Amino acid sequence: MLRNAAYRERRGRILAASLATVAAAYVVWKITESPDQAVQFAFNGLSVGAVYALLALGFTLVYSTVWFFDLYYGAAAAMGAYGVFYLRTSETVGGSHVNNPYVSALFALVVAGVVAWVLYESFFIRLQSRFTHKSLYIAGGLLAAATGIYSGFVLTNPDNLHVLLSPAVGAVAAIAVGLVVNGVIQRLFSEASRTPVLVVSVVAGSLFGGYCGLLIAGAPESRLYLSWAVSCLVAGAVGVALYRGLYVSMRKRARSPLIMLVASLGVLLAITAATAIVFESAPRPLPTAFGSEPWTLWGSNIKGFNIFTIGVAIAGFLGLLLLLKCTSLGRTIRAIGDDEEVAKVVGINTTVVIAIVFFIGAVFAAAAGLLSGHDTAIQPRMGLLLLLKGWIASVVGGMGNLYGAVVGGFALGMVEQFGIWDLAGEWKDVISFVLLILFLSFWPRGLLPRG
Amino acid sequence: MSTPTGDGERFALETIEVAKHFGGVHAVDGLSVAIPRGKITCVVGPNGSGKSTLINLLSGMLPLDDGIVVVDGVRLRVVRPHETPGLGITRTFQDVRLFDQISVWDNIMVVLTERRLLPALLERGKSGQRERTEQILRSVGMWEKRRSLAMDLSYGQRKLLEIGRAMALNVNTYLFDEPFAGLFPQMLERVKGLMRQLRSEGRTILFISHNMDIVRELSDHLIVMDSGKLLTEGDAEEVLAQPEVIEAYLGV
Amino acid sequence: MSVNPSEAASLLRSVREPGAFARLARGNLELWVNLVVITWAVVFAIWQGTGFAITLGTVFAIWAILAVSLNLVVGFTGLLSVGHIGFFGIGAYTVAILTSNAQYEQLRTEAIPTFGWPFFAALPVGIVLAGLTAIAVGTVFNRFRDDIFVLVSFGFTVICFNVFLNSRGLTRGAFGIHEIAKPEIGGWSFGSEVAFLILALVFLAIVVLISWFIVSSSFGRVLTAIREDERATEVFGYQVTHYKLAVWVISAMMAAAAGGLFASWTTFIDPNSFILLESILLVSIVILGGLATIWGSILGTMVFVLLEEGMRFLPFLPDEYVGQARQVILGVLLVLLMLFRPQGLLGRYKL
Repeated sequence: MLRNAAYRERRGRILAASLATVAAAYVVWKITESPDQAVQFAFNGLSVGAVYALLALGFTLVYSTVWFFDLYYGAAAAMGAYGVFYLRTSETVGGSHVNNPYVSALFALVVAGVVAWVLYESFFIRLQSRFTHKSLYIAGGLLAAATGIYSGFVLTNPDNLHVLLSPAVGAVAAIAVGLVVNGVIQRLFSEASRTPVLVVSVVAGSLFGGYCGLLIAGAPESRLYLSWAVSCLVAGAVGVALYRGLYVSMRKRARSPLIMLVASLGVLLAITAATAIVFESAPRPLPTAFGSEPWTLWGSNIKGFNIFTIGVAIAGFLGLLLLLKCTSLGRTIRAIGDDEEVAKVVGINTTVVIAIVFFIGAVFAAAAGLLSGHDTAIQPRMGLLLLLKGWIASVVGGMGNLYGAVVGGFALGMVEQFGIWDLAGEWKDVISFVLLILFLSFWPRGLLPRG
Repeated sequence: MSTPTGDGERFALETIEVAKHFGGVHAVDGLSVAIPRGKITCVVGPNGSGKSTLINLLSGMLPLDDGIVVVDGVRLRVVRPHETPGLGITRTFQDVRLFDQISVWDNIMVVLTERRLLPALLERGKSGQRERTEQILRSVGMWEKRRSLAMDLSYGQRKLLEIGRAMALNVNTYLFDEPFAGLFPQMLERVKGLMRQLRSEGRTILFISHNMDIVRELSDHLIVMDSGKLLTEGDAEEVLAQPEVIEAYLGV
Repeated sequence: MSVNPSEAASLLRSVREPGAFARLARGNLELWVNLVVITWAVVFAIWQGTGFAITLGTVFAIWAILAVSLNLVVGFTGLLSVGHIGFFGIGAYTVAILTSNAQYEQLRTEAIPTFGWPFFAALPVGIVLAGLTAIAVGTVFNRFRDDIFVLVSFGFTVICFNVFLNSRGLTRGAFGIHEIAKPEIGGWSFGSEVAFLILALVFLAIVVLISWFIVSSSFGRVLTAIREDERATEVFGYQVTHYKLAVWVISAMMAAAAGGLFASWTTFIDPNSFILLESILLVSIVILGGLATIWGSILGTMVFVLLEEGMRFLPFLPDEYVGQARQVILGVLLVLLMLFRPQGLLGRYKL
């Protein structure tokens, strides 16, 4: 007996399989034709794919938690790249001075607001039994204002970035080392009493932190890499601010996820145009990072920076995987993705957890933006295209699946690069969208479907 | 088990070994039932027994995985949703699916107008369609509300409007998916009245309900399902007299 | 349409009785929007003089055709398409290639074939070409909805832009096409600015009439039903895919007409007029004006055009940033609308 639905499904599979076979045959033919070039294209595919994978990872993380497409991620990618440009203008070729006090003040304000909100959400309820509300508000406000002023200083003094940021880096290093030392000692000597362990870890932490701080303060060449961190953090802070300021109230009332999509489209539009106003719309270069000298390997040019990019993508993937699978935060994130209402009932502070997700997502996007900016050049419109590539990669890989995001990102990069072997390079956007439409038509669940 | 007769005279709708599975779950598993013409048939069974899936298969909302649907003696392997009114079938939904952001009036009008593209472009509400809409809106007691958006109605009103929308379509077979769920007594009586009226006009009704009093009161024919399979089928009174059915599945 | 007879009658009454006007205006946002925008437009036109008003009027007419036609798809049928500029570009490039007489060999740049057709012969070709493209694209896109539809329509714009940019043998790529013919018919020439404005407004009127004819028919009612619940509409006997395809093609052909006008008006086009951002701007105009209302789209376009020109007179804003500043404002407006008024200013459909 003819099985109707099954027949349709099988027809789709046959089409998909034949398409894949044709593509594979093409690649094999190309490789046998000129193996040297194949290595070069494969490497390019991997390094472009790494950027797409990073974008798709953040995108997927956010999408599989809140189930709407947040187009702010395009803007976050552009902000990541332009953040580096903003802080390191003096090092770029023919860069004029773009450092603008209003822009710095705006972002300082955003940072202060986010810090204030984070402090409120994480400490207010716990401390309100011990202190009066008024004193808590004052203390939190002062702390947030101090952070804001500090970030304002950092943003307005890009030339002294290393000096200004050294205490922050030192503090972060100190806390990290302190926690690690504490954990290790407690694991090794489980009978040890708490006070000496605490003292040892505090001392070790502050020593290491101080050393790191001094090291950074005396190394002006670290400014570029510090600017990476700053732009990622700022993009993340803006992501959190948007989530708290817009999406929280929108999601309560929205009839469809398109509301958030359109709102984030507005955000993207506004930020892209504002970037073009502040930095002009012409393409700009970013300062040269390490590893921009190509090596020759099997007849192809390979840049160390691209290998670094691939490494970042893989590290980002592993880190995210570790976060989601092995930590309690990851479990709550997945719980919210499965059913937000239930998560709320169980007592998870969904607003805070989702804010963290938005932060991580925006940091991934910003990282992808600045890495691709170092590789090529930056322009205000770059965000939109990067966003679309990340979106395509996550569809190709399988919507809402982390493994899928990585596979989809690298697959998209490879297809683009091998696709332009015979066509000219300017057709690569067309290739990726054709790939998207093919996937949606014949393989709508992607390479690795979710669950 | 009823054997497929293909008898369009006696049965408005029949299914022969129809099946539908979602992943590994067999929602409907080789079901063969016959729905007698001009009578009210009720499908009962516990939650997840495949009652709604059956209606979705009969109305083409879900493609058949296997089996045949017989409509008026015509055997069909594929039921396309847009062809169901032509086959004399229409339905309501368990989760009321009105056209939310258009008016109550347009909700009824839309099922009466031209189906073909070009004539639909040239058509602007014929008087016959208007009269029919008014008649339907009055019969479900929604005439005063005709200008408000469907989304602004109360749940009971929405349920009634949906039944009215199905009734506006002048067909032989009506599939009502839980028409009584969540209704106040007054509305309940109204829906019962509408269904009796349809029966008196000689139409066939298939409905799903969990309310045993209503099942007893309304249905002429009863289909009892469990896990996608037919448990028993027959004259309502006879089925309701089988103690094991009542004990095991109806809980009365 | 957003203005129904009874509203118009009460508006007329209110002119005679000031008290009635106050009653009508209180809390009636739509009335206020209409009043403010129209007053703004009139004041602006008087203040700036006719020459300026004519230019603005032409820009307005072309964008209004685009917005009204896109609203058929976005507002009435509920398909959030960001791909409309692609059809606009197809119309523009067809008219440009067929009518241009430029001798590029003398300019020592890449040459393309010249046809030298008159405008009114080229325009139907562009419209038909866009229609055929829309049939092909729509057949593929018909199965997608909501956010995936947004993504693939993004893709359509990107693909169109790249085709315009990279098929150098046909479009001269980034160099653009010069000397596009002005419309001329039977000894009548629309070469002057005023004549062109009139032509553009006639086109706008035709597009509005067709759109009104569609949305007021049974066909239009089915479109709104599809927007609300596609599957349910299908169960009531409509071949939903055909309806969606039909409105998509009609809307694409209208956009192509606007494209032809645009090419002929500017007499020079390059791919930069057809970028993704323009498409997003267009969608934001439609949402700003209001979903599922024809008049709303016209009003939204007025706001869009006036916004740019109005900002030219801000002392602290250098001229080259005006376009960008308008984009910022539109973006912020879009966010505010989604927060407080998801149907747009005059809309009949909430997203």
